[in-house]
Amino acid sequence: MTTLDADPGPYTFDLASTALVIIDMQRDFCEPGGFGEALGNDVGRLRVVIEPLRRVLAAARAVGMTVVHTREGHRPDLTDCPPAKLNRGHPSLRIGDPGPKGRILIRGEYGHDIIDELAPVPGETVIDKPGKGSFHGTSFGELLAERGITSLIVTGVTTEVCVHTTVREANDRGYECLVLSDCVGSYFPEFQRAGLAMIAAQGGIFGWVAPSPEFLTALDTAPNLQEVAS
Amino acid sequence: MNGTGMTGTARIGPVDANPYKWPYDGSVPAAHTALICIDWQVDFCGPGGYVDRMGYDIGLTRAGLPATARLLAHTRAAGMLVIHTREGHTPDLTDLPANKRWRSAQIGAEIGSAGPAGRILVRGEPGWEIVPEVAPVPGEVLIDKPGKGAFYATQLDLVLRTRRITHILLTGITTDVCVHTPMREANDRGYECLILSDCTGATDPDNHRAALHMVTMQGGVFGCVADSESVISATTWSDS
Repeated sequence: MTTLDADPGPYTFDLASTALVIIDMQRDFCEPGGFGEALGNDVGRLRVVIEPLRRVLAAARAVGMTVVHTREGHRPDLTDCPPAKLNRGHPSLRIGDPGPKGRILIRGEYGHDIIDELAPVPGETVIDKPGKGSFHGTSFGELLAERGITSLIVTGVTTEVCVHTTVREANDRGYECLVLSDCVGSYFPEFQRAGLAMIAAQGGIFGWVAPSPEFLTALDTAPNLQEVAS
Repeated sequence: MNGTGMTGTARIGPVDANPYKWPYDGSVPAAHTALICIDWQVDFCGPGGYVDRMGYDIGLTRAGLPATARLLAHTRAAGMLVIHTREGHTPDLTDLPANKRWRSAQIGAEIGSAGPAGRILVRGEPGWEIVPEVAPVPGEVLIDKPGKGAFYATQLDLVLRTRRITHILLTGITTDVCVHTPMREANDRGYECLILSDCTGATDPDNHRAALHMVTMQGGVFGCVADSESVISATTWSDS
Protein backbone atom coordinates (compact mmCIF):
# COMPACT_ATOMS: atom_id res chain seq x y z
CA MET A 1 0.00 0.00 0.00
CA THR A 2 1.11 3.53 -0.77
CA THR A 3 -0.01 6.70 1.00
CA LEU A 4 0.17 10.34 -0.02
CA ASP A 5 -0.93 13.66 1.45
CA ALA A 6 -4.28 14.78 0.09
CA ASP A 7 -7.28 16.88 0.97
CA PRO A 8 -9.16 16.18 3.29
CA GLY A 9 -6.68 13.54 4.57
CA PRO A 10 -4.13 10.90 3.55
CA TYR A 11 -5.03 8.81 0.48
CA THR A 12 -3.91 5.18 0.49
CA PHE A 13 -3.87 2.95 -2.56
CA ASP A 14 -2.49 -0.33 -3.85
CA LEU A 15 -1.02 0.00 -7.35
CA ALA A 16 -2.38 -3.37 -8.48
CA SER A 17 -5.97 -2.30 -7.78
CA THR A 18 -5.63 1.31 -8.97
CA ALA A 19 -6.35 2.74 -12.41
CA LEU A 20 -5.35 6.05 -13.95
CA VAL A 21 -8.44 7.48 -15.63
CA ILE A 22 -7.95 10.21 -18.25
CA ILE A 23 -11.24 11.84 -19.13
CA ASP A 24 -12.08 13.40 -22.50
CA MET A 25 -8.69 14.87 -23.45
CA GLN A 26 -10.10 15.17 -26.96
CA ARG A 27 -9.03 17.49 -29.75
CA ASP A 28 -12.46 19.11 -29.92
CA PHE A 29 -12.26 20.20 -26.29
CA CYS A 30 -8.55 20.97 -25.95
CA GLU A 31 -7.18 22.20 -29.26
CA PRO A 32 -7.31 25.63 -30.85
CA GLY A 33 -9.80 25.59 -33.71
CA GLY A 34 -11.96 22.86 -32.17
CA PHE A 35 -15.57 22.68 -30.98
CA GLY A 36 -14.79 24.05 -27.51
CA GLU A 37 -13.08 27.11 -28.90
CA ALA A 38 -15.84 27.58 -31.50
CA LEU A 39 -18.28 27.92 -28.58
CA GLY A 40 -16.20 30.84 -27.31
CA ASN A 41 -14.15 29.02 -24.68
CA ASP A 42 -10.47 29.65 -23.93
CA VAL A 43 -8.83 26.27 -24.58
CA GLY A 44 -5.68 27.55 -22.90
CA ARG A 45 -7.42 26.89 -19.59
CA LEU A 46 -7.60 23.19 -20.50
CA ARG A 47 -4.18 22.96 -22.15
CA VAL A 48 -2.40 23.75 -18.86
CA VAL A 49 -3.17 20.21 -17.73
CA ILE A 50 -1.41 18.53 -20.67
CA GLU A 51 2.16 18.78 -19.32
CA PRO A 52 1.46 17.55 -15.77
CA LEU A 53 -0.84 14.87 -17.12
CA ARG A 54 1.79 13.72 -19.61
CA ARG A 55 4.21 13.22 -16.70
CA VAL A 56 1.59 11.29 -14.69
CA LEU A 57 0.78 9.10 -17.68
CA ALA A 58 4.46 8.33 -18.29
CA ALA A 59 4.95 7.42 -14.63
CA ALA A 60 1.82 5.23 -14.60
CA ARG A 61 3.03 3.39 -17.70
CA ALA A 62 6.49 2.94 -16.19
CA VAL A 63 5.10 1.13 -13.15
CA GLY A 64 2.57 -0.89 -15.15
CA MET A 65 -0.62 0.69 -13.81
CA THR A 66 -3.95 0.16 -15.53
CA VAL A 67 -4.67 3.18 -17.74
CA VAL A 68 -8.15 4.01 -19.07
CA HIS A 69 -8.97 6.85 -21.46
CA THR A 70 -12.50 8.11 -22.08
CA ARG A 71 -14.00 10.02 -25.00
CA GLU A 72 -17.39 11.72 -25.10
CA GLY A 73 -19.14 11.19 -28.42
CA HIS A 74 -21.95 9.65 -30.37
CA ARG A 75 -22.62 7.20 -33.18
CA PRO A 76 -22.67 8.79 -36.64
CA ASP A 77 -26.46 8.22 -36.86
CA LEU A 78 -26.95 9.90 -33.43
CA THR A 79 -29.15 7.05 -32.19
CA ASP A 80 -27.39 7.30 -28.82
CA CYS A 81 -27.85 11.06 -28.47
CA PRO A 82 -30.86 12.09 -26.35
CA PRO A 83 -33.03 14.76 -28.07
CA ALA A 84 -32.65 16.99 -25.01
CA LYS A 85 -28.86 16.93 -25.41
CA LEU A 86 -29.02 17.54 -29.13
CA ASN A 87 -31.53 20.38 -29.18
CA ARG A 88 -31.44 22.30 -25.94
CA GLY A 89 -30.42 25.91 -25.86
CA HIS A 90 -30.62 26.28 -29.66
CA PRO A 91 -26.87 25.94 -30.04
CA SER A 92 -25.09 27.54 -32.96
CA LEU A 93 -23.19 24.29 -33.43
CA ARG A 94 -24.99 21.02 -32.80
CA ILE A 95 -23.63 17.55 -32.15
CA GLY A 96 -23.23 15.91 -35.55
CA ASP A 97 -22.84 19.20 -37.44
CA PRO A 98 -19.75 19.67 -39.58
CA GLY A 99 -17.15 21.34 -37.37
CA PRO A 100 -13.61 22.57 -37.81
CA LYS A 101 -12.21 19.10 -37.00
CA GLY A 102 -14.91 16.89 -38.51
CA ARG A 103 -18.48 16.20 -37.36
CA ILE A 104 -18.83 17.47 -33.82
CA LEU A 105 -18.61 14.82 -31.08
CA ILE A 106 -19.00 11.96 -33.55
CA ARG A 107 -16.99 8.79 -33.04
CA GLY A 108 -14.33 8.28 -35.65
CA GLU A 109 -13.95 11.96 -36.49
CA TYR A 110 -10.58 13.67 -36.06
CA GLY A 111 -11.82 16.12 -33.42
CA HIS A 112 -13.36 13.34 -31.35
CA ASP A 113 -10.03 11.59 -30.85
CA ILE A 114 -7.55 12.09 -28.02
CA ILE A 115 -4.81 14.71 -28.41
CA ASP A 116 -1.45 13.41 -29.66
CA GLU A 117 0.36 14.31 -26.42
CA LEU A 118 -1.76 11.79 -24.46
CA ALA A 119 -2.62 9.28 -27.17
CA PRO A 120 -3.36 5.78 -25.86
CA VAL A 121 -0.80 3.02 -26.46
CA PRO A 122 -1.62 -0.65 -27.08
CA GLY A 123 -2.97 -2.29 -23.93
CA GLU A 124 -4.74 0.83 -22.71
CA THR A 125 -8.51 0.84 -22.81
CA VAL A 126 -10.52 3.60 -24.45
CA ILE A 127 -14.10 3.97 -23.18
CA ASP A 128 -16.50 5.74 -25.52
CA LYS A 129 -19.29 7.34 -23.55
CA PRO A 130 -22.49 9.06 -24.70
CA GLY A 131 -22.84 11.22 -21.58
CA LYS A 132 -20.89 13.21 -19.06
CA GLY A 133 -20.44 10.25 -16.72
CA SER A 134 -18.13 7.36 -17.65
CA PHE A 135 -20.31 4.58 -16.16
CA HIS A 136 -23.72 5.14 -17.76
CA GLY A 137 -24.11 3.45 -21.15
CA THR A 138 -20.57 2.02 -21.16
CA SER A 139 -18.66 -1.05 -20.00
CA PHE A 140 -16.41 1.02 -17.70
CA GLY A 141 -17.81 -0.55 -14.50
CA GLU A 142 -17.43 -4.08 -15.85
CA LEU A 143 -13.87 -3.35 -16.98
CA LEU A 144 -12.89 -2.10 -13.52
CA ALA A 145 -14.53 -5.07 -11.81
CA GLU A 146 -12.84 -7.54 -14.13
CA ARG A 147 -9.42 -6.00 -13.45
CA GLY A 148 -10.05 -5.87 -9.69
CA ILE A 149 -9.74 -2.09 -9.63
CA THR A 150 -11.00 -0.36 -6.47
CA SER A 151 -9.16 2.98 -6.60
CA LEU A 152 -9.20 5.59 -9.36
CA ILE A 153 -6.71 8.37 -10.02
CA VAL A 154 -8.89 10.80 -11.95
CA THR A 155 -7.64 13.36 -14.47
CA GLY A 156 -8.93 15.16 -17.56
CA VAL A 157 -11.55 17.71 -18.55
CA THR A 158 -13.68 19.43 -17.63
CA THR A 159 -13.47 19.48 -13.86
CA GLU A 160 -17.07 20.37 -13.07
CA VAL A 161 -18.75 18.42 -15.87
CA CYS A 162 -17.28 15.11 -17.01
CA VAL A 163 -14.71 14.69 -14.23
CA HIS A 164 -17.25 15.48 -11.51
CA THR A 165 -19.99 13.30 -12.96
CA THR A 166 -17.61 10.35 -13.25
CA VAL A 167 -16.29 10.82 -9.72
CA ARG A 168 -19.85 11.00 -8.37
CA GLU A 169 -20.78 7.77 -10.18
CA ALA A 170 -17.61 6.05 -8.98
CA ASN A 171 -18.04 7.19 -5.40
CA ASP A 172 -21.58 5.80 -5.16
CA ARG A 173 -20.18 2.49 -6.44
CA GLY A 174 -17.59 2.41 -3.66
CA TYR A 175 -14.48 3.35 -5.63
CA GLU A 176 -11.88 5.50 -3.87
CA CYS A 177 -11.20 8.47 -6.11
CA LEU A 178 -8.19 10.75 -6.00
CA VAL A 179 -8.53 13.78 -8.25
CA LEU A 180 -5.21 15.33 -9.32
CA SER A 181 -5.85 19.06 -9.03
CA ASP A 182 -3.36 20.19 -11.69
CA CYS A 183 -4.37 17.42 -14.11
CA VAL A 184 -8.03 18.44 -14.30
CA GLY A 185 -9.12 21.60 -16.05
CA SER A 186 -12.10 23.84 -16.64
CA TYR A 187 -12.85 26.66 -19.05
CA PHE A 188 -14.04 28.58 -15.95
CA PRO A 189 -11.69 29.33 -13.01
CA GLU A 190 -14.67 29.66 -10.65
CA PHE A 191 -15.77 26.09 -11.41
CA GLN A 192 -12.23 24.72 -11.21
CA ARG A 193 -12.07 26.04 -7.66
CA ALA A 194 -15.63 25.07 -6.65
CA GLY A 195 -15.41 21.67 -8.34
CA LEU A 196 -12.30 20.69 -6.41
CA ALA A 197 -13.69 22.10 -3.15
CA MET A 198 -16.90 20.07 -3.49
CA ILE A 199 -15.00 16.79 -3.80
CA ALA A 200 -13.12 17.21 -0.54
CA ALA A 201 -15.98 18.87 1.39
CA GLN A 202 -17.67 17.20 4.37
CA GLY A 203 -14.77 14.89 5.08
CA GLY A 204 -14.27 13.98 1.41
CA ILE A 205 -17.84 13.43 0.34
CA PHE A 206 -16.80 12.37 -3.17
CA GLY A 207 -13.13 11.55 -2.61
CA TRP A 208 -9.71 13.10 -2.26
CA VAL A 209 -7.78 15.90 -4.02
CA ALA A 210 -3.99 16.30 -4.36
CA PRO A 211 -1.57 17.92 -6.82
CA SER A 212 0.19 15.51 -9.17
CA PRO A 213 3.72 15.91 -7.66
CA GLU A 214 2.36 14.24 -4.51
CA PHE A 215 1.18 11.31 -6.59
CA LEU A 216 4.46 11.10 -8.56
CA THR A 217 6.48 11.07 -5.34
CA ALA A 218 4.27 8.30 -3.97
CA LEU A 219 4.74 6.26 -7.16
CA ASP A 220 8.51 6.42 -6.64
CA THR A 221 8.09 4.45 -3.43
CA ALA A 222 5.51 1.99 -4.78
CA PRO A 223 6.56 -1.47 -5.93
CA ASN A 224 6.84 -1.73 -9.72
CA LEU A 225 4.06 -4.04 -10.85
CA GLN A 226 6.03 -5.38 -13.79
CA GLU A 227 9.01 -6.25 -11.57
CA VAL A 228 6.71 -7.86 -9.01
CA ALA A 229 5.12 -9.91 -11.77
CA SER A 230 8.37 -11.06 -13.39
CA MET B 1 -58.66 26.24 -22.27
CA ASN B 2 -59.88 27.91 -19.13
CA GLY B 3 -56.43 29.38 -18.55
CA THR B 4 -56.59 30.05 -14.85
CA GLY B 5 -58.69 27.45 -13.06
CA MET B 6 -56.77 24.42 -11.79
CA THR B 7 -58.96 21.81 -13.46
CA GLY B 8 -58.57 19.60 -16.51
CA THR B 9 -55.24 18.65 -18.02
CA ALA B 10 -52.14 20.60 -17.08
CA ARG B 11 -49.12 21.51 -19.19
CA ILE B 12 -45.86 23.02 -18.03
CA GLY B 13 -43.86 25.51 -20.05
CA PRO B 14 -42.35 27.45 -21.45
CA VAL B 15 -40.85 28.27 -18.04
CA ASP B 16 -38.82 31.43 -17.58
CA ALA B 17 -35.53 29.65 -16.83
CA ASN B 18 -31.79 30.04 -17.23
CA PRO B 19 -30.12 29.61 -19.74
CA TYR B 20 -33.14 28.91 -21.97
CA LYS B 21 -36.95 28.79 -21.82
CA TRP B 22 -37.53 25.36 -20.30
CA PRO B 23 -38.16 22.76 -21.62
CA TYR B 24 -36.12 22.55 -24.83
CA ASP B 25 -39.20 21.23 -26.64
CA GLY B 26 -41.46 24.11 -25.64
CA SER B 27 -43.86 22.61 -23.13
CA VAL B 28 -44.70 19.25 -21.62
CA PRO B 29 -47.87 17.63 -20.27
CA ALA B 30 -47.81 17.39 -16.48
CA ALA B 31 -48.53 13.68 -16.95
CA HIS B 32 -45.06 13.24 -18.50
CA THR B 33 -43.30 15.30 -15.85
CA ALA B 34 -42.07 14.17 -12.44
CA LEU B 35 -41.30 16.27 -9.40
CA ILE B 36 -38.44 14.64 -7.52
CA CYS B 37 -38.02 15.70 -3.90
CA ILE B 38 -34.56 14.67 -2.81
CA ASP B 39 -33.55 13.68 0.70
CA TRP B 40 -35.71 16.06 2.74
CA GLN B 41 -34.81 13.87 5.72
CA VAL B 42 -34.54 14.66 9.41
CA ASP B 43 -30.91 13.54 9.26
CA PHE B 44 -30.18 16.34 6.76
CA CYS B 45 -32.53 19.17 7.71
CA GLY B 46 -34.20 18.29 11.01
CA PRO B 47 -33.09 19.26 14.49
CA GLY B 48 -30.85 16.55 15.96
CA GLY B 49 -30.19 14.86 12.62
CA TYR B 50 -26.93 13.89 10.96
CA VAL B 51 -26.13 17.30 9.45
CA ASP B 52 -27.09 19.09 12.65
CA ARG B 53 -24.68 16.83 14.54
CA MET B 54 -21.90 17.63 12.07
CA GLY B 55 -22.16 21.22 13.29
CA TYR B 56 -23.64 22.81 10.18
CA ASP B 57 -26.43 25.42 10.26
CA ILE B 58 -29.61 23.52 9.33
CA GLY B 59 -31.22 26.87 8.51
CA LEU B 60 -29.33 26.54 5.22
CA THR B 61 -30.71 23.09 4.39
CA ARG B 62 -34.22 24.06 5.57
CA ALA B 63 -34.32 27.24 3.46
CA GLY B 64 -36.03 25.53 0.52
CA LEU B 65 -38.80 23.84 2.53
CA PRO B 66 -41.56 26.50 2.27
CA ALA B 67 -41.17 26.89 -1.51
CA THR B 68 -41.01 23.11 -1.97
CA ALA B 69 -44.20 22.65 0.05
CA ARG B 70 -45.97 25.20 -2.21
CA LEU B 71 -44.64 23.55 -5.36
CA LEU B 72 -45.67 20.11 -4.06
CA ALA B 73 -49.26 21.30 -3.58
CA HIS B 74 -49.22 22.74 -7.09
CA THR B 75 -47.79 19.66 -8.77
CA ARG B 76 -50.20 17.36 -6.92
CA ALA B 77 -53.09 19.46 -8.23
CA ALA B 78 -51.59 19.31 -11.72
CA GLY B 79 -51.47 15.53 -11.63
CA MET B 80 -47.72 15.29 -11.84
CA LEU B 81 -45.91 12.18 -10.62
CA VAL B 82 -44.27 12.97 -7.27
CA ILE B 83 -41.20 11.00 -6.23
CA HIS B 84 -39.42 11.28 -2.90
CA THR B 85 -35.91 9.93 -2.34
CA ARG B 86 -34.25 8.97 0.91
CA GLU B 87 -30.55 8.31 1.37
CA GLY B 88 -29.92 5.50 3.80
CA HIS B 89 -28.67 1.99 4.38
CA THR B 90 -30.11 -1.33 5.48
CA PRO B 91 -29.80 -1.98 9.23
CA ASP B 92 -27.05 -4.57 8.66
CA LEU B 93 -25.13 -1.99 6.58
CA THR B 94 -24.43 -4.52 3.83
CA ASP B 95 -25.09 -1.81 1.24
CA LEU B 96 -22.68 0.67 2.84
CA PRO B 97 -19.35 1.00 1.00
CA ALA B 98 -16.43 0.75 3.41
CA ASN B 99 -15.01 4.11 2.43
CA LYS B 100 -18.34 5.89 2.96
CA ARG B 101 -18.55 4.43 6.46
CA TRP B 102 -14.95 5.33 7.21
CA ARG B 103 -15.38 8.92 6.08
CA SER B 104 -18.55 9.42 8.10
CA ALA B 105 -16.69 8.15 11.17
CA GLN B 106 -13.84 10.60 10.50
CA ILE B 107 -16.24 13.52 10.81
CA GLY B 108 -17.89 12.20 13.97
CA ALA B 109 -21.18 10.98 12.50
CA GLU B 110 -20.56 7.34 11.62
CA ILE B 111 -23.35 5.85 9.54
CA GLY B 112 -25.07 3.13 11.57
CA SER B 113 -23.99 4.56 14.91
CA ALA B 114 -26.49 5.83 17.48
CA GLY B 115 -27.40 9.48 16.85
CA PRO B 116 -29.89 11.82 18.43
CA ALA B 117 -32.58 10.68 15.93
CA GLY B 118 -31.84 6.97 15.91
CA ARG B 119 -29.07 5.16 14.03
CA ILE B 120 -27.58 7.62 11.55
CA LEU B 121 -28.72 7.15 7.92
CA VAL B 122 -30.27 3.75 8.62
CA ARG B 123 -33.60 2.88 6.97
CA GLY B 124 -36.54 2.91 9.36
CA GLU B 125 -34.93 5.22 11.93
CA PRO B 126 -36.58 8.54 12.89
CA GLY B 127 -33.68 10.56 11.46
CA TRP B 128 -34.05 8.86 8.09
CA GLU B 129 -37.73 9.86 7.72
CA ILE B 130 -38.83 12.77 5.55
CA VAL B 131 -39.62 15.96 7.49
CA PRO B 132 -43.36 16.69 7.92
CA GLU B 133 -43.35 19.88 5.82
CA VAL B 134 -42.90 17.89 2.58
CA ALA B 135 -43.95 14.40 3.68
CA PRO B 136 -45.20 11.99 1.00
CA VAL B 137 -48.92 11.28 0.63
CA PRO B 138 -50.36 7.89 -0.39
CA GLY B 139 -49.74 7.12 -4.04
CA GLU B 140 -46.41 8.91 -4.27
CA VAL B 141 -43.26 6.99 -5.08
CA LEU B 142 -40.50 6.52 -2.52
CA ILE B 143 -37.01 5.69 -3.73
CA ASP B 144 -34.48 4.48 -1.17
CA LYS B 145 -30.93 5.00 -2.34
CA PRO B 146 -27.58 4.02 -0.88
CA GLY B 147 -25.61 6.80 -2.59
CA LYS B 148 -25.67 10.43 -3.58
CA GLY B 149 -27.19 9.63 -6.95
CA ALA B 150 -30.80 8.43 -7.22
CA PHE B 151 -30.39 6.14 -10.26
CA TYR B 152 -27.55 3.87 -9.16
CA ALA B 153 -28.77 0.74 -7.33
CA THR B 154 -32.42 1.91 -7.35
CA GLN B 155 -35.55 1.47 -9.49
CA LEU B 156 -35.88 5.17 -10.31
CA ASP B 157 -35.17 4.78 -14.03
CA LEU B 158 -37.65 1.89 -14.28
CA VAL B 159 -40.34 3.92 -12.50
CA LEU B 160 -39.78 6.94 -14.76
CA ARG B 161 -39.89 4.89 -17.95
CA THR B 162 -42.92 2.90 -16.82
CA ARG B 163 -44.78 6.15 -16.14
CA ARG B 164 -43.53 7.62 -19.45
CA ILE B 165 -41.79 10.49 -17.73
CA THR B 166 -39.55 12.55 -20.00
CA HIS B 167 -39.12 15.75 -17.97
CA ILE B 168 -37.99 16.18 -14.37
CA LEU B 169 -38.26 18.97 -11.81
CA LEU B 170 -35.73 18.73 -8.97
CA THR B 171 -35.99 19.98 -5.39
CA GLY B 172 -34.12 18.91 -2.31
CA ILE B 173 -30.86 18.91 -0.46
CA THR B 174 -28.04 19.37 -0.74
CA THR B 175 -27.76 21.29 -4.00
CA ASP B 176 -24.18 20.34 -4.83
CA VAL B 177 -24.27 16.74 -3.59
CA CYS B 178 -27.54 14.79 -3.69
CA VAL B 179 -29.44 17.09 -6.06
CA HIS B 180 -26.62 17.60 -8.56
CA THR B 181 -25.72 13.92 -8.75
CA PRO B 182 -29.18 12.67 -9.85
CA MET B 183 -29.54 15.68 -12.15
CA ARG B 184 -26.33 14.57 -13.88
CA GLU B 185 -27.50 10.94 -13.96
CA ALA B 186 -30.91 11.96 -15.37
CA ASN B 187 -29.31 14.25 -17.95
CA ASP B 188 -27.04 11.47 -19.24
CA ARG B 189 -30.16 9.29 -19.56
CA GLY B 190 -31.89 11.88 -21.74
CA TYR B 191 -34.37 13.35 -19.24
CA GLU B 192 -34.94 17.08 -19.60
CA CYS B 193 -34.20 18.55 -16.15
CA LEU B 194 -35.06 21.74 -14.33
CA ILE B 195 -33.61 22.48 -10.89
CA LEU B 196 -35.62 24.85 -8.68
CA SER B 197 -33.25 27.34 -7.07
CA ASP B 198 -35.53 28.29 -4.17
CA CYS B 199 -36.36 24.63 -3.44
CA THR B 200 -32.77 23.59 -2.80
CA GLY B 201 -30.07 24.36 -0.27
CA ALA B 202 -26.63 23.31 0.89
CA THR B 203 -24.50 23.32 3.99
CA ASP B 204 -22.06 25.59 2.15
CA PRO B 205 -23.64 28.65 0.46
CA ASP B 206 -20.74 28.94 -2.00
CA ASN B 207 -21.24 25.36 -3.17
CA HIS B 208 -24.99 26.03 -3.51
CA ARG B 209 -24.35 29.06 -5.74
CA ALA B 210 -21.64 27.35 -7.78
CA ALA B 211 -23.78 24.25 -8.29
CA LEU B 212 -26.68 26.28 -9.68
CA HIS B 213 -24.33 28.32 -11.88
CA MET B 214 -22.68 25.17 -13.31
CA VAL B 215 -26.02 23.97 -14.66
CA THR B 216 -26.45 27.07 -16.80
CA MET B 217 -23.09 26.93 -18.59
CA GLN B 218 -22.48 25.73 -22.16
CA GLY B 219 -26.09 26.32 -23.14
CA GLY B 220 -27.42 24.30 -20.18
CA VAL B 221 -24.99 21.44 -19.80
CA PHE B 222 -27.25 19.61 -17.32
CA GLY B 223 -30.55 21.40 -18.05
CA CYS B 224 -31.93 24.65 -16.59
CA VAL B 225 -32.40 26.63 -13.38
CA ALA B 226 -35.62 28.46 -12.43
CA ASP B 227 -37.54 29.37 -9.29
CA SER B 228 -40.70 27.59 -8.24
CA GLU B 229 -42.97 30.56 -8.97
CA SER B 230 -41.86 30.46 -12.62
CA VAL B 231 -43.04 26.84 -12.87
CA ILE B 232 -46.34 27.62 -11.16
CA SER B 233 -47.02 30.61 -13.42
CA ALA B 234 -46.02 28.62 -16.54
CA THR B 235 -48.67 25.96 -15.85
CA THR B 236 -51.74 26.06 -18.08
CA TRP B 237 -54.91 24.00 -17.88
CA SER B 238 -57.20 22.71 -20.60
CA ASP B 239 -60.53 20.93 -20.31
CA SER B 240 -59.73 18.18 -22.76
